[in-house]
Amino acid sequence: MSDQTTRRGALARAARGAAALALGGSAFYLVRKADGQIVWNVDSARCINSRLGVTNVEACNLCTTECVVPLSAVRAVNEYSKCGRCYICPAYFNITSAVDEKGLPSEKLCPRDAIERKPIGDIDPDDPANNFYEYIIDEVKCDGCGKCVMACKEPLGLGSIVLRVRHSLCVDCNRCAISTACPKDAILQVPIEKAFDHVQLGSHD
Amino acid sequence: MKYSQVRVLAGKGGAADHFSEALRGLAVDRRDSVYAAGDQEIKVFESGGRLARRWRTAMPGFAVAVAGDGRVFCGQPGQVEIFDGAGRLQAAWRDEQRLGLVTAIGFSTGNVFLADATGRCIRRYDGSGKYLNDIGNDNRMKGFLIPNGAVSFGVDAKGVIHSANPGKHRVERYTAGGALLGHFGRFDGRDPAGFSGCCNPTNVAVTGGSRIWVTEKAGPRAKVYDAEGALLAVIASDVFDPNCKNMSIAAGSRGQVYVADTVKLQIFVFEPLGGQGGAA
Amino acid sequence: MKSRASTLLAAAAGLILLFAVNAAGQAMQYERPVQAAPQEEGIGGSYKTPAVQKPQPRSYWLEVLDVVLMAVAMGISVWVVLRRRSRKWVLALTVACLGYFGFYREGCICPIGSIQNVSVALTDPGYAIPIVVTAVFFLPLLVALFFGRAFCGGVCPLGALQELVLLKPLRVPRRLDRALGLLRYAYLGGAVWLALQPFPVHDFIICRFDPFVGFFRMAGFAHMLYIGAAFLVLGIFVGRPYCRFLCPYGVLLEWVTRLAGRGVSITPDKELDCGLCQESCPYGAIEKMRVVRPKCLYCARCFESCPREGPLARKR
Repeated sequence: MSDQTTRRGALARAARGAAALALGGSAFYLVRKADGQIVWNVDSARCINSRLGVTNVEACNLCTTECVVPLSAVRAVNEYSKCGRCYICPAYFNITSAVDEKGLPSEKLCPRDAIERKPIGDIDPDDPANNFYEYIIDEVKCDGCGKCVMACKEPLGLGSIVLRVRHSLCVDCNRCAISTACPKDAILQVPIEKAFDHVQLGSHD
Repeated sequence: MKYSQVRVLAGKGGAADHFSEALRGLAVDRRDSVYAAGDQEIKVFESGGRLARRWRTAMPGFAVAVAGDGRVFCGQPGQVEIFDGAGRLQAAWRDEQRLGLVTAIGFSTGNVFLADATGRCIRRYDGSGKYLNDIGNDNRMKGFLIPNGAVSFGVDAKGVIHSANPGKHRVERYTAGGALLGHFGRFDGRDPAGFSGCCNPTNVAVTGGSRIWVTEKAGPRAKVYDAEGALLAVIASDVFDPNCKNMSIAAGSRGQVYVADTVKLQIFVFEPLGGQGGAA
Repeated sequence: MKSRASTLLAAAAGLILLFAVNAAGQAMQYERPVQAAPQEEGIGGSYKTPAVQKPQPRSYWLEVLDVVLMAVAMGISVWVVLRRRSRKWVLALTVACLGYFGFYREGCICPIGSIQNVSVALTDPGYAIPIVVTAVFFLPLLVALFFGRAFCGGVCPLGALQELVLLKPLRVPRRLDRALGLLRYAYLGGAVWLALQPFPVHDFIICRFDPFVGFFRMAGFAHMLYIGAAFLVLGIFVGRPYCRFLCPYGVLLEWVTRLAGRGVSITPDKELDCGLCQESCPYGAIEKMRVVRPKCLYCARCFESCPREGPLARKR
């Protein structure tokens, strides 16, 4: 073997070593910084449909229209422990529709009829207003249009219904298409442990 | 009957007659002075609108009321502070095991009624602060349905308590002993005579025996009914911030109405047009 | 010692602050707030609050498994191309990886898109990426540093899809090939720049305009599906147009491959100078009977066409 080839070989080895070091170094830096498993999440404090201060507007339905999954991976979820269990729930009924003979609004709000209403507790059969009601969202029917979220928020409701990413359906796009479209940057990546924290919404007492 | 807005008191800001964070309770005395509980203060406005006095309370006030003898009661979390007309503290009632957040106060001969939002009922005490009985919680729901977080009521000249039960869209009448006498009101999202939304009315005030003043939230409005529950007038709706909730309402001797905007921290004063709405 | 003292001081200051805040809070504190939402004891009738659905994402260990599978697939790619020198095996690997990383895992996560995440994570102190993503980004580069672009051959689902549709390869004139190849640098630069911009300019265009992810998911926006279909039709005649003219990750692999010690070589000891291999390479990666390793996509077509070692040789 000539001198030249050995020299070239040594040079190549050195370059390779340097490159390996550079790659390894940046990888090491990123691993040190790493945050575990990260998922897309709706920040309810930013979501127009949940936020206070936005009233008398149509619900934002970008979560429905932008998601790459055919029936959006974002769905409405009722945080039962924060639900007022109202007799007339503005998220269940279209409260501006005409009142029927039972004294209830004649129309429902959900376009997909995804919310179920049933009395709970010690049920009073004589006076329907004298009961608490549970509102259960059918997660299979819901497509995250946000109408009920908008109707449930303060001050009309208690804000117990929020939009959430169903992580089992989310395909974890690198750049979530909804987040690109969201006008309030409310779809963010968070560590999985924080994905189920219910955001405390502000209220006027 | 129609009402027109004649004056606006207070507002949001740092000035002496302004509130910086909250405006929650209103009351009117015999001379038509307005008492407003907000932030951690009580402010008294003369009938002309000038700020006459103001003083600090131990905790943020959620309700204010003026007794027949001129003493000022301020409802707070877990207690009621009692001041003389000049704002000097006379007493503080605490009922550790029983009394929660006091969101309304009313009087009848020998009785002081305190709305307890924590207990979802009204507590009855005698003039010295001795507990007598509860009102409104001897039922299946164990109290008023208040997703709005406040119990509100007024007491008429006969000592009957008219209390909001917003979850049922009703105003209920109780005796001092806690017996339910009757109720009026129904849900209706279109007809202004009904109560809209999930839970309305949020606040009630009563003058004499024939006027029941109420406010609603989402969308906010102030209305007046007669004792039978017939709507007399929608006093105002558009002037309030749409995010208002639990707007306190009080009426004066000439039928003028005071409503607290909980977002703009203003007190709107309305008067009946043509002077036909005198408090009976 | 000094640093320890200052730490203690800081801790003490923190504690004092905590007490001060507590003391201030005490006057305001009230333990019995109003419950606007009725709870179990208020509702009665043995009512139990139902649990709120918390659908979990795919298990973390399955994601780790994805990385392991990718590493194994690259190992197989290296072994099949450098040792077995078999196109049939490469095709089998291609189909398997297309099925798993493409249609089953729906094209995510992929090293191409992770360029953006890595760029942001390297520059933004507040942004971190999971270890899995770091591994997915660096593993193919590491392999390329020693063996060349083994990832491109059969492992990358985008490449695999194009590899399988390439039925009638036409030769792209060298100069046009070179000129179009420059697009990749612009795409890489643009993608990194956009990824580093703050909201709302911030964008991950590599993923937004991924041509094939729509097919993998069997759903997607019309524009993505049209672009993908166009690439596939073009790919029938032009070898892997996305890889050669757009893929930004290909640029990085190419750079690293220049330093590689080993890689594909054409039967060094049995050269015939017949040029069949050069003819067979749809990617223009054989020049003057030598493999241009940075451009070689590990497809093994050249071995197949060789009269000395391909099926022709075996038949003889």
